[in-house]
Amino acid sequence: MQPKTQPTRRDFFARITDGLHGTALACLLGRDLYSPECAAAATEAPEVYDLSAKPAHFDPKAKAVIQLFMNGGPSQVDLFDPKPALSKYAGTTPTRDLVTDVLFSKATGGILPSPFQFAKHGQSGTELCELLPHMAERVDDIAVIRSMYSEHINHEPALFLIHTGRLTPNRPTLGAWVAYGLGAENQNLPAYVVLDDPKGLPINGIQNWQSAWLPPVYQGTRFRSEGAPVLNLEPRPEWPSPVLEAQRKLLRWMDEVHRSKRPDEPNLDARISSYELAARMQLEATDALDLSHESEQTRQMYGLDDEQTHSYGKRCLMARRLVERGVRFVQIYIESQIWDNHSELDKGLRYCCGKTDKPTAALLQDLKQRGLLDSTLIVWGGEFGRLPIAQVTGDLSKAGRDHGPSGFSSWMAGGGVKGGITYGATDELGHKAVEGRVSAHDYHATILHLLGMNFRDLTFHRHGLDERLTDQFPARVVSEILT
Amino acid sequence: MVLSYWVRTVSVTGLCVSLLGAAELSKPTFESDILPIFEVNCVVCHGEGSPQQGLDLRTAATLVKGGNSGPAIHAGSAAQSLLVQKLVAGTMPPGDKKLTDEQVNLIRHWIDAGAGETATAADAPTVTELDVLPIIQASCFACHGKRKQEGGLDLRTQADRLRGGVSGPALVPGKPEDSLLIRRTAAGEMPPLKRILESSVKSPTESQLETLRQWIAAGCPPAPDPPPESVAVTEADSNFWAFQPPQRPATPKVKHHEMVRNPIDAFLLRKLAQKGLRYSAEARLSELLRRVYLGLTGMPPSVAEREAFLADERPDAYEQLVDRLLASPEYGERWARHWLDLAGYSDSRGVGFQDKIRPFAWRFRDYVIRSFNSDKPYDQFLTEQIAGDELSDYKKQEATQQLVDRVAATGFLRTTPDSTYEPEFAYLAERMNVVADTVQVLGSSVMGLTIGCARCHDHKYDPIPQRDYYRFSAILQTAFDPYDWRTPDERRVDLALDSERDEVSEFNKPIEVEVEKIETLLEKLAKPFREELIEKRFAALPEDLRKDLRALIATPEDERTAVQKYLAKNFDDLVEVSIEDLIAKSPDFKDTAGPLQGQLAKAKEKLKPRPYVRALTDTGGEPSTHYLLRRGEALSPVEEVEPDVPTVLRVGLQPYRVMPPWPGADTSGRRLALARWLTQPNHPLTSRVMVNQLWMRHFGRGLVVSPSNFGRSGTPPSHPALLDWLATEFVESGWSLKHMHRLMVTSTAYRQASRKDPAAAAIDPRNTLLSRMPLRRMDAEQLYDSILKATGQLNRKRFGPPEPVEVKESKEVVAKGTESGFRRSLYVLQRRTTRVSLMDAYDLPHMTPNCLERHESTVATQALHLMNSEQMWDHARYLAGRILDEVGPDPKRQVEHLFLRLFSRAPGESEMERSLETLEELAEHWPERLTEDRVNAPIGWTSHWLALGGLCHTMLNSAEFMFID
Repeated sequence: MQPKTQPTRRDFFARITDGLHGTALACLLGRDLYSPECAAAATEAPEVYDLSAKPAHFDPKAKAVIQLFMNGGPSQVDLFDPKPALSKYAGTTPTRDLVTDVLFSKATGGILPSPFQFAKHGQSGTELCELLPHMAERVDDIAVIRSMYSEHINHEPALFLIHTGRLTPNRPTLGAWVAYGLGAENQNLPAYVVLDDPKGLPINGIQNWQSAWLPPVYQGTRFRSEGAPVLNLEPRPEWPSPVLEAQRKLLRWMDEVHRSKRPDEPNLDARISSYELAARMQLEATDALDLSHESEQTRQMYGLDDEQTHSYGKRCLMARRLVERGVRFVQIYIESQIWDNHSELDKGLRYCCGKTDKPTAALLQDLKQRGLLDSTLIVWGGEFGRLPIAQVTGDLSKAGRDHGPSGFSSWMAGGGVKGGITYGATDELGHKAVEGRVSAHDYHATILHLLGMNFRDLTFHRHGLDERLTDQFPARVVSEILT
Repeated sequence: MVLSYWVRTVSVTGLCVSLLGAAELSKPTFESDILPIFEVNCVVCHGEGSPQQGLDLRTAATLVKGGNSGPAIHAGSAAQSLLVQKLVAGTMPPGDKKLTDEQVNLIRHWIDAGAGETATAADAPTVTELDVLPIIQASCFACHGKRKQEGGLDLRTQADRLRGGVSGPALVPGKPEDSLLIRRTAAGEMPPLKRILESSVKSPTESQLETLRQWIAAGCPPAPDPPPESVAVTEADSNFWAFQPPQRPATPKVKHHEMVRNPIDAFLLRKLAQKGLRYSAEARLSELLRRVYLGLTGMPPSVAEREAFLADERPDAYEQLVDRLLASPEYGERWARHWLDLAGYSDSRGVGFQDKIRPFAWRFRDYVIRSFNSDKPYDQFLTEQIAGDELSDYKKQEATQQLVDRVAATGFLRTTPDSTYEPEFAYLAERMNVVADTVQVLGSSVMGLTIGCARCHDHKYDPIPQRDYYRFSAILQTAFDPYDWRTPDERRVDLALDSERDEVSEFNKPIEVEVEKIETLLEKLAKPFREELIEKRFAALPEDLRKDLRALIATPEDERTAVQKYLAKNFDDLVEVSIEDLIAKSPDFKDTAGPLQGQLAKAKEKLKPRPYVRALTDTGGEPSTHYLLRRGEALSPVEEVEPDVPTVLRVGLQPYRVMPPWPGADTSGRRLALARWLTQPNHPLTSRVMVNQLWMRHFGRGLVVSPSNFGRSGTPPSHPALLDWLATEFVESGWSLKHMHRLMVTSTAYRQASRKDPAAAAIDPRNTLLSRMPLRRMDAEQLYDSILKATGQLNRKRFGPPEPVEVKESKEVVAKGTESGFRRSLYVLQRRTTRVSLMDAYDLPHMTPNCLERHESTVATQALHLMNSEQMWDHARYLAGRILDEVGPDPKRQVEHLFLRLFSRAPGESEMERSLETLEELAEHWPERLTEDRVNAPIGWTSHWLALGGLCHTMLNSAEFMFID
């Protein structure tokens, strides 16, 4: 084979940047750059992946995340980002730059003021619209980011961007990265749980919690909010319990015999002990989602007694119980994409806020009362916002707003986030984020940071590259909203 | 100096504003403040010689000029400067040593303060064609490009623009306001707002329009000459082992020659001996049998197959068995699965909420199975997949199986997620992503190169400049042309055997009659409602127009005058009323026609689709220009590039040469040239990459453990000589895959036992040297198929459209199954959003866009699935039933048969004892439940059947079933 050549400068950097630091340096100093041992240290994956808890890169502020995902694209100028100028310019023709963001070009209307009143709340004076009376009582706990932006005018790519950092499918989601980086505190429950709305999956379906090329063990596990939470959690109902017991006993014995003849095989051992884990998961997962032990007061606080708030409230309460039990990342989705208010803005937003405002505020309050808010990060937001102009098909009174990727609002609360602040700003019309712009990558970097992880160092080796959530895009931790 | 400056700035920030003079004094300069930072941290790469990415950081002027990714700084705005973005993100400098916050802030301040006058004055960029090209491409090409020249206008070249269309020249150099391009765009007439969505184009923004104006005002300067190659690929680069042709090494002489069954053993034993190791003892016959069945066919042997093998007393009984397995159709099915991983096969689009089915993808899957089973030479196999459409004139020839297969083979280049079905997901960037993913599939699976890394910048580790990436992707340009895009539906090739067409039309005939009947009826019902609705819509129009439109509606489409055609196009919202519109608008009509509409939909669902072929074909004609894109961004062309292969791979090989495949061909031959180039016998990568894939799947790890990366950041081969011997043997055998399988699975190495020897493990912990066979868990498909075969639920039907899946109420996804059982996993619908739950739990990979090697995980949900799923219990009871049928009521024989079926061995004494005990115990506990449930079957017999079912279920859950020794 080829004679060993002196490493070139490119080689040198190739070696020091692939994350093997100590080993690499030792190898370099030993002038044995291409020895199999040296290279194997760099590229070889562990033999088996699991969910055991892994240390963060530095002391984390938050141990768990609850992501309240608002699919569809909540309208920033009607919720968190009041723009008096909209009334001033009401009905006027939008600028060319604004029109570039229009998806449904046939229905482009004029500037549309918000139909809702805004007011200042709390000690912080954070402004919220009238549709969020419960959140108004909690504004001092949250940091509103008014300067988020996306890069695509349609749902699918924008969802991929906010969840995975790229507009295209097939990259791991934030939750999968967190599960990969930190594992779970409780082996009897999944690390990454998804509570989707029984009324319908979001756009992109299960791809919203995919692990892509991260090992499948890190993908989100859907917990159903009715019946057994996990697929096949319960033993076959038709089996008499002595039957179950006898079968389990025989299985244990056979596996033990098999294992004793094959000592020191970690995969085999792990597989055999996973049967014990499975039995424990059955108890714990059922218990985690059993709301019958919650007090009447708690149930009322989350709105479980009200048809309008019942469904979302239930999932918020489940999220608290899961986080209490050591689940790392919980994602709550809302029926298909109710925030996608292309028409009848007024009616649509009343419906969305009516469903979510009370449970969301309750979740914050409940976590705070239990002392969990300090170690739990809550993030609220969608894939983009909406345009300040009307989308009209016929009747102006039924106007809605088209997708607005250039600027939108979201908020964070809890674990390491400053309460009672607003950060960043959009332009006069609320169209484009102009001050303190926050990209999906910045957003991701910030969430990882709060969990004690450096976005640069959370990597997965693939095709010769240390892949990361923020890819090679510029990203920064939005330190202005941190405590 | 640096530090003191910073302290000063921080402490007097407030003052700086008011005391301009003081601020002026403390303004940092490049030479004294910035350059020293760069000299210590950056100039080693971005300095003299051939600076990385073409970026030289030694002067302010070269900073403004920038490198391959564009200007490094944006004077006056640190936030917009790439340099600052890279520093803040920590991607630069690479490695651990980063700039301090003070240093970064100093650089920021210097840029925000204008980056010194010299820099801004130095290279005030003039607007050239390069700056306006992306605007025109994104906004105008859809209607004024290769395929369409509306109004006679083509905007692709400067000559075309000056020539103009029916309205005159598009440009008047020097006079922006006289140029039609500017006037019509500024007036908002072009691109027509109404059509931007359907054509997937964007209106230029105000600033883009300004750029266009400046360019025309400056006299339309052409694009500047491209910068020289930033990274020169040298001969030394080509000296890297993987870029040198494999040389056939002599087979080594080894001490334990009695262990050498073929040269593979000699190479392995030599390395083992160097570490004082040797092979383990041979595996038990039952273990070997199970291993080779699972390895070659993906399923364990049946009881009869096991007996046949054991009864064969010939000395070469094992070799005979291997030949039998390689000749069995199950071999092609198993190994097609491996190839489909590399190709990234899927039956669905992989994008969009509905993740729609690709109805003809299976033809590629079938092509792959047939190719493996016929041992199609690998060079031919590759050639057909890369350029099957360029092998013969498929448009003019009669459809034969070979012709259909060749065109279907190009499905290899059509596997990646493709969103461009819908115009709102078919913008330039999305088209380019399809191309990029396809390059990724080709590069990783066939060439073992991470060429995709060079899409946005020169490759960081391998000698692949960005320009080489675009040269390589230019090979696909004539088929995947972003500037002349074909939607997936437009790419279908209407090609099928007559017999296939006849079958479909025969099947559809009665349904079509029914469909027509319902449609006629619906139309008749709709007429009065439709007229009423149209009149309602017309109410606001002037009478003249109303008259014209009424006349228009009355005239059949092909008899319309030019004016009527114009009207039809402009008033389509008013005149066109579909049945769906009517149902939505008129409740009365909905009541009458609703059920009929439902019937129609149901009937249409029954129709079999016309058999198309999903393929990648050349679009013909003059190819569009292919550009190197700055940072891989669709709207940042830098320079034109011509198709070619990576420079580093040109040494010692016949060059990549494009020729028309046959005289007068309307296909460029670009892909055929690639196939010819790749399949040269001495190609350094093609044979090595493939034998490594085969090795990895037989021995658990590759000789190169990074199968998609043979480059410098990959892992060098553990056995370089063996790899080269295999690679050359592969080519010399006529690229025969079966020959290579035979060599591998008949080697002594493959026949070793899997037990771990602590002494050997201490020396070689990862078993790199193969002193034993690894113990492995079945992969998702092996598990799925093995359960089916072992339980007797396997339906062996081959080929054709995939078996559908269903999502149960529990959210479990299972194959629907057929009347005669379940088909192999390979034939179950591979849809990205409905993955069969069992396989999903056991690490079925996501195709991203393909999968080079599989990961293995162990979590509790896997156990839950096998223990508790309804389907596993169904399978177990089915198996119990078959055992009762085959061996009768004797429990001992039942247990024995079960062990043979699932583990390919007879039970030991204690195993028999425990199994019988359990069987008895289980049988005791069922009667009570059955009596309670008042089942209408004999309680005693049913109890015995369910008890045996329980035993089957337990064994299917055991580690022994799932692991391969």
